[in-house]
Amino acid sequence: MRRGMWDREMVAALLLLALMPMVLTWLWFGGLDAIGRLSLTLIISGVWHMVFMLARAQSPSLAGVLSAIAVAMIAPEDLGLIRLALGVSFGTVMAELVFGGWGRNVLNPATVTIAFLGFGFPAAPWPDFVAPVFWAALPALAIGALFGILSMRVIIAAFAVLGIAYSGGDPAISAILPAAVLVLALLVTDPVAGASTSLGRWLYGAVYGGFVVLFAHEWQGAAPVQMTVSAAFLASLFAPLFDEAALALWVRQRRKRHG
Amino acid sequence: MFGSIFSAGLIMPRVGPPLTPDAPALHITDEAAITPAHGEELRVDSLVGDGDSVAQGQPLLRLRAMPDMYLTAPMAGRVAKIELRPGHRLSQMMLFHEAGGDRYAYDVSQAGHDTDELRRVLQMSGLWRMLRSRPFGHVPKPGAIPAAIFVMATDSRPDAPDPLPRLASREEEFSRGLDALARLTEARIFLCEAEASSYTGALPGGVTRIRTGKVHPNGLSGLMIHRHMPARVEAPVWDIHAKDVADIGSFLETGYVPATRVVSISGDALREAKLVQCQPGADLRGLSQSLLRPGPHAVLSGSFLDGRPAHWLSHRDRQVTVLTRDTSTKNRHWFNEALDHVSRRAPIIPTAALDLAFGRALPSAALIRILASGDVEGFTRLGGLSLLEEDVALADYATGASPRLMTQLRALLDRIEEEEGVA
Repeated sequence: MRRGMWDREMVAALLLLALMPMVLTWLWFGGLDAIGRLSLTLIISGVWHMVFMLARAQSPSLAGVLSAIAVAMIAPEDLGLIRLALGVSFGTVMAELVFGGWGRNVLNPATVTIAFLGFGFPAAPWPDFVAPVFWAALPALAIGALFGILSMRVIIAAFAVLGIAYSGGDPAISAILPAAVLVLALLVTDPVAGASTSLGRWLYGAVYGGFVVLFAHEWQGAAPVQMTVSAAFLASLFAPLFDEAALALWVRQRRKRHG
Repeated sequence: MFGSIFSAGLIMPRVGPPLTPDAPALHITDEAAITPAHGEELRVDSLVGDGDSVAQGQPLLRLRAMPDMYLTAPMAGRVAKIELRPGHRLSQMMLFHEAGGDRYAYDVSQAGHDTDELRRVLQMSGLWRMLRSRPFGHVPKPGAIPAAIFVMATDSRPDAPDPLPRLASREEEFSRGLDALARLTEARIFLCEAEASSYTGALPGGVTRIRTGKVHPNGLSGLMIHRHMPARVEAPVWDIHAKDVADIGSFLETGYVPATRVVSISGDALREAKLVQCQPGADLRGLSQSLLRPGPHAVLSGSFLDGRPAHWLSHRDRQVTVLTRDTSTKNRHWFNEALDHVSRRAPIIPTAALDLAFGRALPSAALIRILASGDVEGFTRLGGLSLLEEDVALADYATGASPRLMTQLRALLDRIEEEEGVA
């Protein structure tokens, strides 16, 4: 009657640990500006977690920190305090807390926040990163996959699609690839909002890669981060469908085998 | 922890000292009891009274609902007391051991030819009760016909006694027992063995061998049944431990009910962990007393994954786990205490650990969600009717789920049973 370790907060803590190399690199190169943005998103999301703890008795989760980091890193810049606060509040409350907190949400709150800000304030410029931040996304994926908290299938499928497109030699793909990997680590591999069946995960990763390739080719004048966030958002809308399809297929195969 | 990535099972940290490899010593405890399995309701008529002397294997209790089915004495001794709850429901029947007591001999001369007679002697001798029927996990009804029988010659639970060394010396009895099972029904028989070690003796025709993985949960009958022959309400699947099959074999040869079973005693409250040979229903404190370290502890019948606090060795269990009990009072803030009290429990995050806890045999995240929502139709669709508490115990352990998955599964199974009107 011993209990193991893979409860919700442990998974959130390990996810945080996996992201650390990338976050620290980003803070190092982003300086005070980055620290200010991160503090702001942390405070706003923290306040909402407090509100829901007091009003609805919902235990706050470390996962709030994860979304705050993702928003601070890839939300559009120069929004000003009010708009950023509005975006983070919308994402945290409507995409996560009203469903009962992390683990019961349907979409990733950070994805929703960033998409909300991106669509709401299209004039705001999207951030760009120095190359070491992009590189630091790789250890984040590796650590997550090693602990089994990020799905290896999603990562491999996304890399496979992106790799095939990259080997075609299109300059648009090589320009978007770093941002695609960054968003893969920050938003797409989220174990809750992503697909949860084996086949569903393959499809989910592949569809994310597919959307990135599509946008890189067809979307003129958009920033790489904007395109990849949109790809992540669309792919996560499809995730429940993939799961449902994978389950239906699994049940059918079993019925065929066992009658 | 990292090894788990490379095999479809979870490698768990050791709890307590490792099992000593010595051959199991005979240890008959002074007291033993007949108790119902967890959740089982036995309405019984007693065939003996308090203070009566009984022989080992003698029928002591008869089920009121199924008058052919008996519970038998685990050892020769004296009946200490019979505790019944209202409605003749058995709570426990306690016995004192008496050295040099008799063994009860059954007449098995007809069981070799006549299938009805075979059923009758198995039910009379209590050996029938070692069979378990899925869905729901009850002892099969006297006339029930299964779609398949799974014979488990492996057990992957941590520190579970390996049935194979014992089986190797009882090949003939095992083979006779398999033969009896084959005569019992038309059902297919599957013999499940772990990869590394396999039984080399003769097998009667019509027995299919299945190789299971060594890492838990691959050696669980539930996952094997789920994979090879899913149980349905109209087509139940039985499972039985290989040692019990050998017991049936020796019973049909001699007419005596085998008196002991090999049980492992392990856990972190012990100085050493070891195998013993004891009677069914043995007194767990008597078994573990000499091995204990000082300090508060809890005695479980079963492994540390699926075991339950118990006084007596439970029906079908082959493991005793003694765990240290944490008696330190945690000084928690009143606010956290209050929050824990009123909040909904944190949900389970689908990770690789969860997938591996089901041996990648089924869509685990979907199953967890279905259990939490109590969706009968979805549960049946995913093959949940093949599962019992012990099959979700590892996922329970890995995720620290609350309420426990074992409880959720049992509640759902009970509801299905009620709806189907099988009860």
